[in-house]
Amino acid sequence: MSRKLKIAVVPGEVCGGCDMALVDLHKNLIDVIGLADIVFWPIAMDFKEEDLDELESIDIALFQGSIRTEKHKEIIERVASKAKIKVAFGACACFGGVQSLADLYKLEEVLNEAYLKSPSTINEERILPGESKANPYKITAPKLVEINYKVDDFIDVDVYVPGCPPPKEIISEAVNKLIKYFEGRISLEKGTVIAGTRTLCDECPREKPEKIVIDRFKRIHEVRLDPSKCFLAQGAICLGPATRGGCGSPCIKANMPCRGCMGPAPNIYDVGAKLVSALPSLVEIENEPKLSDDELSKRVTIMDPAGLFYRFTLGLSRLVRMVRRE
Amino acid sequence: MEERNKNWEPKIIAFLCKYCASAGADLAGVSRLKYPANILPITVPCSGSVDMQFIVRAFEMGADGVLIGGCHTPSDCHFLRGNFKALKRVSVMKELLRQIGIEPQRIRLEWISATEGKKFAEVAREFTEEIRKLGPLGDKHE
Repeated sequence: MSRKLKIAVVPGEVCGGCDMALVDLHKNLIDVIGLADIVFWPIAMDFKEEDLDELESIDIALFQGSIRTEKHKEIIERVASKAKIKVAFGACACFGGVQSLADLYKLEEVLNEAYLKSPSTINEERILPGESKANPYKITAPKLVEINYKVDDFIDVDVYVPGCPPPKEIISEAVNKLIKYFEGRISLEKGTVIAGTRTLCDECPREKPEKIVIDRFKRIHEVRLDPSKCFLAQGAICLGPATRGGCGSPCIKANMPCRGCMGPAPNIYDVGAKLVSALPSLVEIENEPKLSDDELSKRVTIMDPAGLFYRFTLGLSRLVRMVRRE
Repeated sequence: MEERNKNWEPKIIAFLCKYCASAGADLAGVSRLKYPANILPITVPCSGSVDMQFIVRAFEMGADGVLIGGCHTPSDCHFLRGNFKALKRVSVMKELLRQIGIEPQRIRLEWISATEGKKFAEVAREFTEEIRKLGPLGDKHE
């Protein structure tokens, strides 16, 4: 490659974790900087929105975070129009992320809770984002869009890099692939996901019984987890059966069940519904015929199934869009 | 939206197991029992083979309700335990739908044996009326 690549890191609704993951590349980051110029990365360097005007073209745009406000949408669309390769980086950009869970409520309820009702809020003038009611500083927070969107709702994404945040190995793989692409050594299929192609369950090193039977689902604080055995067999809800692998299973190794940040495994139509199909049937298999229908339904109680099964991926749910959008 | 409301009729997808509920629906037909045409039956091998993703797909394709028909518990299931699987899944799926903001009554699970043509017709009538009262899926929320 004769010239240096131009990379922009563009934040939407972010927590900063994805930036940490990039910085966490350590010395590899230096290699990257040898090959590429960072032309926009507001959280790590001194860039302002106006700097985007001066940019003519960008080779790689990493979009982080979801699209929650009109400002996010504007910036992301603006950068996308100049970018050759558009990368959705992190669970929020790929699937909406944790903040998509706000879409379980109407926008009105969300704003009410966050800006008016919550005990830690003082907002006597009842100003909501997007309203330019008199304030001495003439600052207006951008208006929220109707639901929390993932990046590919507005722009064509070439490469998805999932994870919350994406693990180091996956970032390195993505960087290598992109460099090779720009050197003309490989082609990139649109919508490539840089991660495993199997479920996490397939890769899990834990001991799994032939048949998993449990009496009820336990919440994580109710059970002392054996670090060598399958979480589901111990009654703890693990999203491994429907989650994409390739993350290197750091949670599993830390004795924590999978929470699904890598997003749905390939060929899953709706991850929440898939998990509802997979998990509840494990309960009380031995005693089924002895229990009445009502009793059996009571034993499969799962606290907050939507929050658990769609923890990072509610932005993908088609049902939510049906009820939250006009 | 309004245009859709004028001539709106509930659309219901029914996943009926081959051995009981589907045979029950056939019996309702050959017995010339009347039931609403809003029900579109799909025969499946077993109520336990109904993936909850089918429900999401049905709703997305325009269904306003989903009926799942299986064999009576505890011992009628041709595959021994398929109906229990359906029961457990549907009970969690209803909670999931409620959280998302979809009325859980839009899914109904019924045990209908091959001899219960009459019950099938009754369930079809009742469920159609229930869905008619709820209105089209997703309309009331915004």
